[in-house]
Amino acid sequence: MRYRVALFTAVIALVMVATPSLRAAEKVWSGLVMAENAEKPHAAPARLGRIEKTLIELFGYNQFEVIGESNKTLKTGDEDWLASSKYFSLHVDAKGVTTGGYELNLKLFKDKQLLLETETKLSKQSPIVIKGPQIGGGQLLLVLIVDGDEWNSTQESQARHPHSDYESNQLMNAWRHLTRFVRNAWP
Amino acid sequence: MKTFEEKWTAWLDGQLAGRELIEFEASLPDRAAAEAEKRDAKKLGALLKRELGTEALRNEEFFSHQLRERIARESATQDRHRTTTWWTVPRMVWAGATSLALFVLFSVLVVRDRNPAEQSQYLSQILQARVDPVVSPDATITMFESKESRVTVLWTEGLQTLPADYAAK
Repeated sequence: MRYRVALFTAVIALVMVATPSLRAAEKVWSGLVMAENAEKPHAAPARLGRIEKTLIELFGYNQFEVIGESNKTLKTGDEDWLASSKYFSLHVDAKGVTTGGYELNLKLFKDKQLLLETETKLSKQSPIVIKGPQIGGGQLLLVLIVDGDEWNSTQESQARHPHSDYESNQLMNAWRHLTRFVRNAWP
Repeated sequence: MKTFEEKWTAWLDGQLAGRELIEFEASLPDRAAAEAEKRDAKKLGALLKRELGTEALRNEEFFSHQLRERIARESATQDRHRTTTWWTVPRMVWAGATSLALFVLFSVLVVRDRNPAEQSQYLSQILQARVDPVVSPDATITMFESKESRVTVLWTEGLQTLPADYAAK
């Protein structure tokens, strides 16, 4: 009986340890977005659909247009890439994988002039939005989203159960802590 | 010196032996009648022993004895039943200790997660940011998180304003 319990525990622990390594490579979408107010605003690009409401509330614009973008697949977490428009370019340099995301160095250039530099930890469940310079009557925004299952499932879950967010977070956190604990305890 | 009656009683009981037995049997006037009487006495003795013994078992001591035996039997049966159940005391202790340990573990993990001082690792973070002070000398930077939509925002103010042409793709 004890041997069976020990075997069962070992199998569960093995699955928990092995699961992250089986995860597919993830894509990071980085975009240069022009936010403007239009009389007849057109729909936001699909990439921004899930955060459009937040962008409207935060920045006060009703139309968002992608003027430059990059969709980079991260395999090692050490890649770097560029999302460019005619005048601007966002250079993203991945510095490695952290628990739940990536460490990124971001540089916004206007032509070859560095306007803004930042060090970030981009979570798989949480996009980053950077307010750039004012351009005409609009605003340049830099948006980074990990295009993975976790972000999608989080957003879908939130759309289905808007009030159950806190409870599910607690359970998910507890589960992640447990899996991390087992993973760390594994020799 | 034993009397005849004493010797007779001892002979009936088979207590005489050796020379005394030989002398006594030789002194018997009718040996066959004596032997028959001895057999009858033995039968009577056996009968009395049997009957008196049965009588003894019918009194209250007998019932008390039977009752004690029955109680002992039933107690033994109950003890056997008790040892065959899965929930033995050591197992219950182990199960209780394991449940308590799991409860404490989960409580600690969940409570630690509620600590507002610790930034959630499931939200993106801005570790540091700077703007070019030559191009935008009055620029300021603020960081915050929109917890509702899980968006982390780097908010800049005072960056160089550019003409609309720069919005070109």
